[in-house]
Formats: sequence, C-alpha cells, structure tokens
Amino acid sequence: MSIVKKMLNIDGRILFVIMFIAVAFPLLHPIVLPMVIQPYSQQAYDFANSIPNGSYVLVEGGNIAATDPACGPALSLFVYHMMTKNCKLVFFELTAEGAFWTQKEINVGLGKLPASVPAQNGVNWVNLGYIAGQESGAAALAANIRSTVSKDYFGTSIDTIPMMNNINTAKDFQAAFWFGGSEGSVPYGVRQLVMPYNLPLGASCTTNEAPNYSPYLQAGQLKGLFAGVRGSAEYEFLMGVPGTALGQSMATNIGGLYWLILILLGNILYFISRARGEK
Amino acid sequence: MSERLVKINIPILLTAVLGIFMIIQFYFPLPQEAATTSNILMSFTTIVSAAALMLGSVILTIAHGKKILEKKPEWYYSILYVIPFAIITILGLISVQGASFAWVYNNITSPIGAALYSLTAFYITSAAYRVFRARNWSAAVLLVVSFIILMMLLPVGDYLVPPVMPIGQWLLSVPSNAGYRGMIMGTSLGVIGLGIRIFTGRQKEHLGIREEKKEAS
Amino acid sequence: MMDWVFLGLLVGSLGMIGAYTVLIGENPISKAVENIYMGILSGYLFAMNWDFINRNAIANIQANGQYVYIISIILCLMLVSRLNPKWIWVSRYPVALTIGVGMGIAIRTTVIADFLTQVQGTIIPFNTLNGIVLIIGSISAITYFLWTTNYWGKATGSYHYLNQLGRLFLLVAFGVTYGQTVSMRLELVVGTMYNILLPDVAIYSYAFVVIIGIVLYYGYSTKRIKWYKS
Repeated sequence: MSIVKKMLNIDGRILFVIMFIAVAFPLLHPIVLPMVIQPYSQQAYDFANSIPNGSYVLVEGGNIAATDPACGPALSLFVYHMMTKNCKLVFFELTAEGAFWTQKEINVGLGKLPASVPAQNGVNWVNLGYIAGQESGAAALAANIRSTVSKDYFGTSIDTIPMMNNINTAKDFQAAFWFGGSEGSVPYGVRQLVMPYNLPLGASCTTNEAPNYSPYLQAGQLKGLFAGVRGSAEYEFLMGVPGTALGQSMATNIGGLYWLILILLGNILYFISRARGEK
Repeated sequence: MSERLVKINIPILLTAVLGIFMIIQFYFPLPQEAATTSNILMSFTTIVSAAALMLGSVILTIAHGKKILEKKPEWYYSILYVIPFAIITILGLISVQGASFAWVYNNITSPIGAALYSLTAFYITSAAYRVFRARNWSAAVLLVVSFIILMMLLPVGDYLVPPVMPIGQWLLSVPSNAGYRGMIMGTSLGVIGLGIRIFTGRQKEHLGIREEKKEAS
Repeated sequence: MMDWVFLGLLVGSLGMIGAYTVLIGENPISKAVENIYMGILSGYLFAMNWDFINRNAIANIQANGQYVYIISIILCLMLVSRLNPKWIWVSRYPVALTIGVGMGIAIRTTVIADFLTQVQGTIIPFNTLNGIVLIIGSISAITYFLWTTNYWGKATGSYHYLNQLGRLFLLVAFGVTYGQTVSMRLELVVGTMYNILLPDVAIYSYAFVVIIGIVLYYGYSTKRIKWYKS
C-alpha cells in the first residue's frame, strides 16, 4: 500500500489524540490575539445597551451542560449589564436542564456586581423556573404568566413577589433576550414574543445556529445575536469585563487550524491518489 | 361504530376544534371568555407535556427493569441506570432545590453530558479528513464555503488572512441568508400544510392510530 | 470535613474522562458512564417535571382555588394508559389537546413571522446589489423545494436553471452551517477540556487517564474487551 493510501486510511484514534493535544495545548499555554467584532455581536450589544434604564426585560435561559461553557458567559454578563442599568429581569426556561444552568449563570452575573448595585431576588430579578411545553409553554407564559406558573424557581408564590405586581403578560415588558443555547428555540421567541406583542428581541445561541437565524436578523425580527463562545468573548470585550469566554475562544484556534489542515491534506492526498489511478 | 367514535373520531375532532379555536381566537375579536379559555388550554398543554416527559422516564426505567429481571445480555449495565435514577428521583421529589440533588446533577450528569456532546467534534474531524472531498462542483462549493467560514470564526483566521472576515460575513449575510430564508418559508408552508392535514383527519399518526391497527391484526 | 466542591470536580473529571474512552472503541468503562448518565438525567427530568406540575396545576388548585386545573391532572393520569396496549386509546385525548393547541399556536404565528415578514424582508432591500442577490436567492431556494418532488412535476426549461440556482444558494447555506457546526463542536471540546484541566484537578485528571489507560490496556491485551478496528 502506498504512503498516500496509508495516510488516507490512518486509524481514527491517532487523529483523536492529535485533536486532544491541539485543544489542550492553548488551554495550558494561552495565546491571546486581537479579535475583530462580528456585526451580529455588535448589534446585540447595541440593542442591550439601548434598553432603557429601569425596564422590565424577559429572559429565556436555554443553556445546558454542554453549551454553558460557550454561551453561559454571555448570559451572566447580560445579567451584570442589565443590573447596572437598574433593569428588572424575569427569567424562564423551556428545558429542565436549562433551569439549573440559568440559575447558575444568574449567580455568576450577580457575583460580578459591585456592592452598590442592588440585586435582590424578587425586587430586581426573579426566576420563574422551568416551563414545560416548548413553544406552547412560551406562548402560554407570554399570554398569562400566572396561569402558566404560580410559583417561581424557589417555590415562592408569584403573587407575593414585589416586582411581579402588575406584570402578567409579555405586553408588560419593554424588551426580551433569548439565550437559546442549542435548543433551536429562538424562533419560538420570534413567533410568540415579537410577532404578537412587538417585543424587541435579542438572542444568543451556539455557533452552528447563527446561520439559521440570519433571516430573522435581516428582517429586523431579531435585534442582534451573540453566537457561541466567540459571541460571548466579543460581549466581554465590548463590556470591558474579562471572563472565561475569551480564553476559550482563543483555545479554539489550534483545534480549528488542525481541522482546516486535515481537510486540505485529505483533499490533496485524494487528488494525488486519483491522479495515480489508485482506488 | 361507537367504539370507533370514542377511540378515533372524537380525538381527531378534538385536535381540529382546539387548533382552529386557537387560530380564530388570535385573529378575531372574541369575548374575554375566549381569551381566558385560550390561556387555560395553553396552560393545560404545558402540564400535559410535563407529564408526558415524566412518562417517558418511567417507560425507559421499566425497560431497564425488565432487562434486569429477565437477565438479558449486559443486564448489569441496567443496574447502573436504575440505581442512580432511583437516587436522584427521590432527592428531587424531596426538593429540587436541595443541595444533594444539585450536587449529583452538577458534578456527575453535567460533566458527562458535556463530554458526550463534545465527542462529535472528534468524529466530525475524522470524517472530514476521510470523506469530505471536492469530487464535484456541489462538494467544492460546500468545502470552500465551510473553509472560509471556519477561518472567519477563528480569532487567528482574521489575524492570518484579514479578507476572510468581510468575505465570510458577506457569505453569512447574503447567500446563506437567502438559502435559509427559502428554508424558513418552505418550512412554514410545510407546518401549515401539516396542520391542515391533522385538522382534517388525513394524518392520524400523532394519535398512534397506526400502532393500534397493527396490534388488532 | 469533606470539601464537596472539590470532590464534585474530581468526580466530574473522572466521569468526563470515562466518557471520552468511547473514542478508543466501546468498552465497559464508557458503557458504565453512559448508563449512569442516562439514569441520573432521566431521574432529573422526572423530578423537574413533577416540580413544574406542582408549581402550576397543584399550586393553582390549592392556593388559588382554580378547580378547573383538576381537568389537567385527569388528563395527565389518562396519559398513563399508554403503559397498557389495551387502554392506549385513552391517552389519545391528552395527546389531542397537546397537538391541537400546539399546532394552533404554531400555525397562527408562523404565517406572519416565518412567511409574510420574511417575504417583506426579502423584497424591501431591492435597490442594492446585495438586495437583488437576496431576492434571487430566496426565490430560487423556495423554487428548489417546490420542484424537487414529483407532486408539482419535474422542473424543465428555464425552471431547471432556477432550480439549480436555488440548489447553489442552499449549498452555500449548508456550507456556512457546516463551518459553524465544526466551530461549535470545537467549542464544546474546549469547554470540557477547560473543566478537566482546571488547576485544582489537573493532576488528578492525569492520574485518572493513567489508571483508566492501565485498566483498558489490561482489558484489550487479555482480550476481555474487544478491540475495534477504526
């Protein structure tokens, strides 16, 4: 068997080991490079910044264990951002896993706040917890919060929560932000919050979903999009609040280059093999 | 006949009535009672969805339980399913806010879940090396575009090849946007078509009607 | 006094490395980890959904006196009939509710959000080159969907070229998605490696790799574990 054929039929486990090294190396020896801010991230930041101080903002948290390292920093930073603008945040989640990770990121975001910024549960923010039913759940919540859920994530009755007085439908909010993770749920927000209630909506999702939502961005239904760890890193950069996303974003460099080299190598070897008439 | 009415016809009719009611209530000004009914129906849907997910867990546990009782091949792995299931269910039923419940989920499930999700990165890389070839123009377009987009997304990509950012952004904002727009519009037409099929009773698979016919025969 | 946080990080690291052993080939360690994961996740979902029903239906009945929610509890109990094939028809009623309401909610908003607004978004920017490309691309992509089935008939004549143009735009869209998907998967790996290589647990992670390596080497060399050719 020629060397070209041997390389094309290399054991996959060798490729996996090299991949491990390619990903682990920049984590152990970080390399920081300048980063150009993508337009969607800039739009999302500008939208978040333009939310008037003191507004009520509805936030969907959809990160799970796998997507939280990449998209979680954007959520915690959003909490920080809105709290410094004295906005009132109402969180809800459409997946059971999302409930846990959203509360975790809320705690991380609140932990970053200076002592002078008020951040009391029930006064400045409330987490309504997991709502079953996916799009139906989102629609039900937007139509009538109290008929969808009567206690928050911590078991407190919504009627006893100070900031929920006079807040019962999506019409009572001034903006919304959808941290969809990899749920594919951002269209639920567009269909159930933007279309019926004209609620301005920004979003965050994993990198692979960004092209799916570009039509919504271009049509003006979404005001901006933080995509993946790069989007989170850009948010950190624009806010001037360093976090874990920037390091992780830089760590994708060598792994990504490895993939690109493999693609090129695979195609070059294939065309050499074809030119030689090898099967 | 009445058996068919109760088992098949009424559920199909119920689906249609509820669906059409939800659509009419949205577009036409109806009395306040209609809006209240609509809210209650949506709330019921969320509750039933939650119960369905619980039932799914139970069915999976029953399957593993049967595997243990009947000592099927590799039944001992099912013990590794049933015992953690029992522990975390009991902890969760006591309190989902409990520290133990959170500890087990956060420190066992989450890391393993993240690792299992990330396995696809390795398979994607291996598959790309072995299979992703520019054999024809379609594959070449796919290859070149994905190459440019990945270069754009890597911080080092903008650094090494600066034009990759504007080219990649243009690909994302214009041709890809057009393609996905076509897909979104096609999907929405498909959803409407599926809804009409379900409401008119031409599609009954969602009620499991095909399953029962097989069992009857 | 045990440091539960540190213990948690250790256990998590061990679980992650155990899950990664599936890359070598299916082995008892990866199967054990997968089954433990499924068990805990299944139990977690059970508990969280029970909590939701508690916070919604039961709280509305007990605290707010809204007895109409008893109907929702009855519907949930009707679902349990799926466990017996003879009574499976009973579960069709709650399913009919879910599907009917869900379809109604989806259809009523998709018409405007996913169709009319998208048409508007396509047509409006027609005075720029990008706008023209967007219009042509959107129309040709939809044409590709309509003329790839036998229902409307195969595309012939000039429709064939429009069809192929639509295919080109879809290929660009899929190429973009593929590139973004590769990036996303890399981010997932980076996220897990970040947790494995945390300074507190890195040394233990290396130790786990060595221990698991020894166990698997013993298993493969004595042929107790099957070696898969990759």
